[in-house]
Amino acid sequence: MKGYELFEDAVESLDLYPVFGNPGTTEIPMLRKIKGYILTLHDSISVGMADGAAQGSGEAALVNLHDLPGVANSMAFIHTARINRSPVIITAGQQDMRHAFYDPLLYHNLLSLVGEAVKYKVEVTQASDIAPAMARARSIAMTPPMGPVFLSFPMNVMDQESTKVDLVKHNPNVNSVDKEAVLEIVDIINHSSNPALVYGYEIDAFNAHDEAVDFAHALGCPVYGEPLGSRAMFRSSDTSYAGDLLPATTLINLKLLQHDLIVFVGGDITLYPYLPSPLLPGKNVLFVGMDVSNRIGRSYTMNPKLFLSAAKSMVSRKGNFRRADDYNFVTTVARERRDMGLNFVMSSVRKNFEGYTIVDESISASPIVRSVMGYSHLRYFSARSGQLGWGIPAAMGIATVTDRVLLIIGDGSFMYTVQSLWTAKRYDIPLKILVLNNGGYSILKSYSKSYYPGLENADFFNLSLDIASVAKGFGVEARIADNNLEEMAWLREGKQVRVLVVNVNSEIPKLFL
Amino acid sequence: MKAMAILPAFLPIDEIKASTGQILPDLDVRTDTDFDRSEADVLVVTTFTRVDSELLEKFPTLKFLQVASTGYDNVDLNAVRNKGVMLSNIPVANKESVAEHVIAMVLSLLKDMRFLDNELRNGNWPMITGSRELKGKTFGIVGMGAIGIRLAERLLPFEVAIVYHDVRRLPEEREQNLGLTFLPFERLLEVSDIISIHVPLTRETDNMFSSSEFGKMKDSAILINTSRGEVVDEQALIGAVKGKGIRAGLDVFPAEPPDFSSELFKLDNVIFSPHIAGVTLESQQRFITETVSNVLRYAQGVDPLYRVQL
Repeated sequence: MKGYELFEDAVESLDLYPVFGNPGTTEIPMLRKIKGYILTLHDSISVGMADGAAQGSGEAALVNLHDLPGVANSMAFIHTARINRSPVIITAGQQDMRHAFYDPLLYHNLLSLVGEAVKYKVEVTQASDIAPAMARARSIAMTPPMGPVFLSFPMNVMDQESTKVDLVKHNPNVNSVDKEAVLEIVDIINHSSNPALVYGYEIDAFNAHDEAVDFAHALGCPVYGEPLGSRAMFRSSDTSYAGDLLPATTLINLKLLQHDLIVFVGGDITLYPYLPSPLLPGKNVLFVGMDVSNRIGRSYTMNPKLFLSAAKSMVSRKGNFRRADDYNFVTTVARERRDMGLNFVMSSVRKNFEGYTIVDESISASPIVRSVMGYSHLRYFSARSGQLGWGIPAAMGIATVTDRVLLIIGDGSFMYTVQSLWTAKRYDIPLKILVLNNGGYSILKSYSKSYYPGLENADFFNLSLDIASVAKGFGVEARIADNNLEEMAWLREGKQVRVLVVNVNSEIPKLFL
Repeated sequence: MKAMAILPAFLPIDEIKASTGQILPDLDVRTDTDFDRSEADVLVVTTFTRVDSELLEKFPTLKFLQVASTGYDNVDLNAVRNKGVMLSNIPVANKESVAEHVIAMVLSLLKDMRFLDNELRNGNWPMITGSRELKGKTFGIVGMGAIGIRLAERLLPFEVAIVYHDVRRLPEEREQNLGLTFLPFERLLEVSDIISIHVPLTRETDNMFSSSEFGKMKDSAILINTSRGEVVDEQALIGAVKGKGIRAGLDVFPAEPPDFSSELFKLDNVIFSPHIAGVTLESQQRFITETVSNVLRYAQGVDPLYRVQL
């Protein structure tokens, strides 16, 4: 078989269709047999789509990039897939190696370019390695903590001959639980006086929500979400849920002040901005999961779902925490109705999009989006990297594996990868997009107001965009919401991609100290 | 149509006669009930006149009784029902002033105004105060009629959570617009930092707040009563103020004027007003306007507004 036939056979055998990509000439040789391809109008969008599809399905997803420009264009998205622990298999065409000595057009050392953003990288130099390299890359991508891998395919390899290899789609065994470690952790918990639980993204990735709730109830202590969690960290409707930690040392310390033991399960700490307080001084801090950083405290590597299940019956009850009922929200919604405040808007979203998967790139509105929409299994996704532009592609990717997906995005973020709308329209992706239009980069204004007062008024933070017209330019139906948000129902209707712009209150939120 | 108005003598009767004479020339305005018989088919009273079967017997042709007040517990409803007379009150004219009065009392208690005022009058300059903010508190409203609704509207800018209880729940859309969360009465008692009462006096609301209810309230919670004095058990309130630091603002009392020798008037955490929450110059003007308008409606053959279901 030719190299390109071996490539296609590996894609099929490893169940990696569709291929997301934006090809160039160097990729043409490897795509000759490819059967399912979703075209995006910028290289990076294909990585974002694959990231979304991978997280939404729990399976690896395949991307095809165009050599140096394609990889370079996509670096922020590859980094985000790394931070999101998303099993994305990135392939790129490489120049014909027979004239590499002459530094031809598009030629570059792609492995050095992709650098530390991937878990595994290889340039395949002979056809016989194509299939094994694809299988190996997939397995590494799927091994927790999951993440992107990269394969470079020189053009000339695709016309080399080799024999077919029978590949087996094999997922790594992650059902490991260390019984001695479980006993040690349980002993520490039982000797604590006032523990707190912090759950992270792995609760969702391992579908450990039931176990997480049961464990929290057995302990009777509050549950917090890890700072800036990329997906549903806990079933937030449960009365054990005490909110998410904020991504700053001082704020984390204050929130956990009364606790002597902090147990992180399936999560870690993400910080920004810098604050001078040390992190959790004097506290006993444990981390349990497949993705532990060993930065502070003690770390135990094991399957978080199995840990929670095993430890539940062994821990002593330490309290009777029950989150207080929130009567403020209803009043806040009524008050904000007058000036299109975010709580009012999100209250309407919650009524209209119950059961939808929420993809969140609302940035400055994200705390309210998370709080109002809540978390449950596979119902919340966000980029933990801080990148803008991920939202539309990722939401499209998720919408390729499940319907009922709502993207909530800011006006600034929307413009980064707006040409994604062409792909959504072209492939009938049933994505609903809600644009919270506050006329600028609100997160930058908020930061400026906290640290450099006056700068929030800088003109370069302001945008004035006709988003509905831009969307219509791609053939996508778009409307601007009225004061009663009647168009929410319109946005929900039908399977076609639709965009609803809500002109929200542009008051600068206080998001920093 | 013949109409009579029986008004308390402290009102400016001559001015009222002069103004109503321009609108209802045949209106007989008086300040007493010392007469044997009236041919009036419309009677206007305030809460200062007891309307019972004895008074009603003096009006053989009476068709419509208008109480120029929100409350109408001065009216014997059975006697009115038996006589087949329509009854209306004016439930809207004083809602602004009562709502503002409630907020004034709450802010006064939260801000420790009585203590601070006394300190300065005594030549002191206190450096520490237990003053608290209204923002962020849970405000419970018991009784969501016209006054309760206006109070909720006025409270929205204060960024409080507003919970309420009423025998009849508002429609969902109305609740959403006002930012209200309906709660069972006992739950409202448990979660509220401030409770304001706006219920009519009925068999069910008589002593609605007694020892059991105070026992369920948060320590140091604030109770405001601008409805009827009988709704709150005075002795139980005294016990709650002394026992769990309940603070109270009282505009109404079981007997008015009250017994000023009561221990109630010796408590620091209670402020008082003389059943005057609904009385402002503006509200009195609205009462007159609404009352006259309703009588005119009747005179034109149109059903009067604010009918009381008998």
